Amino acid sequence: MVTAVGTTAEPTARQVAGRRWRSARGIVLVLLCVVAVGVALAALKPSRHPDDLDPGSPRPGGTRALVEILKGRGVGVAVSRDAADAASKAGAGTMLVVTRTERLTSSDLDRLRGSSGDLLLVEPGRETLAALAPGVEQDSPTFVIKADPECGLPAATLAGTIAFGESETYTAPPGVTSCYRQSGSPRLVQYQTGGRTVTVLGASRPLTNGHLTDEGNAALAMNLVGARSQVVWLIPDAHRDGSGGQAGDRTLSDLLPPGVKLFFLGLVVAVVPIALWRGRRLGPVVTEVLPVVVRSAETVTGRARLYRAHRARGRAADALRAGARDRIVPLLGLPRTVAQALPAQDPGAVREVVAAVAARSDHDERTVAMALYGLAPGEASYHWPSGQPGASGQPGPYGQAGAFAQAGEFAPTGPGGAEPADDAGLLALADLLDDLERQVRQS
Amino acid sequence: MALTGRLGLLALVVAFVPLLVPSGAVLLGLWGLLLLGVVIDLCLAGNVRKLRFHREGDTRVRLGETAKAALIVENTGGRRVKAILRDAWQPSAGVSPRRTRINIPAGERRRIDQTFTPTRRGDRKAVTVVVRSVGPLGLAARQLSRSAPRTLRVLPAFPSRRHLPSRLARLRELTGLQATMIRGQGTEFDSLREYVVGDDVRSIDWRATARRGDVVVRTWRPERDRRLYLVLDTGRTSAGRLGDIPRLDCSMDAALLLAALASRAGDRVDLLAYDRTVRARCENASRTGLLSEMVEAMAPLEPALVESDAAGMVSAVMSRVRRRSLIVLLTELNPAAFEEGLLPLLPGLTARHLVLIAAVSDPAVDEMAAARGDIAAVYDAAAAERARADRRRLTAELRSFGVEVVDAPPDRIAPALADAYLALKAAGRL
Repeated sequence: MVTAVGTTAEPTARQVAGRRWRSARGIVLVLLCVVAVGVALAALKPSRHPDDLDPGSPRPGGTRALVEILKGRGVGVAVSRDAADAASKAGAGTMLVVTRTERLTSSDLDRLRGSSGDLLLVEPGRETLAALAPGVEQDSPTFVIKADPECGLPAATLAGTIAFGESETYTAPPGVTSCYRQSGSPRLVQYQTGGRTVTVLGASRPLTNGHLTDEGNAALAMNLVGARSQVVWLIPDAHRDGSGGQAGDRTLSDLLPPGVKLFFLGLVVAVVPIALWRGRRLGPVVTEVLPVVVRSAETVTGRARLYRAHRARGRAADALRAGARDRIVPLLGLPRTVAQALPAQDPGAVREVVAAVAARSDHDERTVAMALYGLAPGEASYHWPSGQPGASGQPGPYGQAGAFAQAGEFAPTGPGGAEPADDAGLLALADLLDDLERQVRQS
Repeated sequence: MALTGRLGLLALVVAFVPLLVPSGAVLLGLWGLLLLGVVIDLCLAGNVRKLRFHREGDTRVRLGETAKAALIVENTGGRRVKAILRDAWQPSAGVSPRRTRINIPAGERRRIDQTFTPTRRGDRKAVTVVVRSVGPLGLAARQLSRSAPRTLRVLPAFPSRRHLPSRLARLRELTGLQATMIRGQGTEFDSLREYVVGDDVRSIDWRATARRGDVVVRTWRPERDRRLYLVLDTGRTSAGRLGDIPRLDCSMDAALLLAALASRAGDRVDLLAYDRTVRARCENASRTGLLSEMVEAMAPLEPALVESDAAGMVSAVMSRVRRRSLIVLLTELNPAAFEEGLLPLLPGLTARHLVLIAAVSDPAVDEMAAARGDIAAVYDAAAAERARADRRRLTAELRSFGVEVVDAPPDRIAPALADAYLALKAAGRL
């Protein structure tokens, strides 16, 4: 059965969706690419856990094992979560281990620079390098895991090969000890500056719980960190509670330089003349009264929809038959009044038309009478010719029409003839009428 | 007053200055300079009030053609006027250019050439002239709307003109002005001449034949000086759109062809446009001025969304037309409207006049009637067949009243109406 009530002129919901998809797919594709690239970059970037390099953490990224070993060997380890605290604890004869330097602010670095004692910088950022290891600069990272010392630093030569994993490399000023080079750039730098020994280590993996046992990692870690009897391990907290004067306490406007604030003020003010420039029309909008024009066939279309909505097959069939008769009868050379005659009023005229049409087409009289007048076999108002017994049910050349004639699906109801039993019947009737008209026209 | 893009750009540039010189005083000073520039511009901009506008050029144009006109701007003020000018017409006037830059020294005048390509029939009006006079710094402008009224009348297109020569040739055959075998047909006795093979034997004048001893036929010529009264229905049915043009425009086209033909045939043509009241009239026009007068009368007509008042229309016609005339009613064969309106009044009209009803049919209905394929198309076809059957029934009923009916699609209605007129003339029924 037909369930859709849309005409061919109106696109179906599926067509509309398809059109929208086709017009939007370029944008969607670009967005998907952006998302995919973003996800790939995020996945490639090594993620850092908040507990990484934390001396209290037993996770693979933590350094509890190293600290415990150091403690067992009699090295005093003080863990500090605050740069100011670490600076005060550090002194001559201590080793200050600075980790997670991305959490240090510039004032923290100032405090650390003011401290005394040796320094071990683990994976320092550029700002930390500039503040605490002047002269050493960051080079490109390397992904070659293992490296040999190739230097004279006892801590390194005793440890031997080290499994660094991904590591930063550095360019060191001439005359400093540089170990574990990768294409000329060392992973480990040690030198004297400001009266203390500063060591820069480009990778954190040799110190962690998970990789302490790889190669000579443990030895290197012990040698570097435990070089002094007292160790201050600085791992700055990510979140400060913020006692007075801390950077986290300040608002965005405190941090912005005054020129930038004035710049934004200038932008806001500049919007006003631009808005006034674009907003001022060159005179009023001119209106025009447009005539109302309706499609002339609107009522016909409306009637067609009503027929369809109510499945008015009987009325539709009547209209089609009347139209076909009006065109066919003049072709037969019969007067127009005959075209309007109905079986109930003028059976003689009807019989004449049916016979003439049947003679000029390859359809038998039964099919023609059924098509043009909707007459079912044996209907009282029409007498079938004796040569063609209507009840014998021989299938007509027009399969469909013959079929429903056989099944007796034509109920003699409407004034213009029987009503097709379903939509397929109406379609078949329309095709049959077209065929009759064509054959009569060509005969 | 209006600001310019230059001011906006400068304000934007000024916004970047604090990045180089982070000082509030400098920023304030620059803003003050810009403000000063705006004030100077407003004071020194040319005076728009002292402009005078004159118009010249075409006031009439056929729909689909292009008219040329000019706007002349005269600066009677003491300062040069440098401005953007917008001549605001109704959109369907199709004016070009819409905006012009003018630069007129004090006391001089400049001419702005314009072309009009209207997209709709009727009267198109110039609404206003807007002048934005920019100051010497180009930061601000004085803007004013001035009125410079003008109306461009857009006449019907009359595309069926191309059918006129062939119909005129047929007319000449009828009147016998052209050398043909048949000298002419009609009811007005013209002359006697010898019978030649091919003449209608009914036209043999036996009395003259007996006198002359030779077969003599009477010749006839069509009547002249008959009256045609064209009635345009501008009611709701004329608003229907057939393809892209309203039914009213198709009817006008047909009326114009018929009027052109009839005036050449020596008949008098009058026009009345009616829905519930008289919308336009063109009566007693001279033979040479008929077409232009009719076109003028038709130009501003628009379909009215009301049911036409058939009784009023008939009485208007009856009161205006005393002599027997051919009344051509250009309307739509709408069974409902006819049964309630015109049909009961037709006998009174046909008793005194010959009535011809010309209706434009919708080709979309014929397309729908031929539609096949799916069930929706067949229902469409059934509805279209029903509409055509209604139309045929109404046509038959009208013919039973002795009314001539011409029913044709838009592209054929004008020649069909002309042919119907020629046929009536040939049959001597006028």
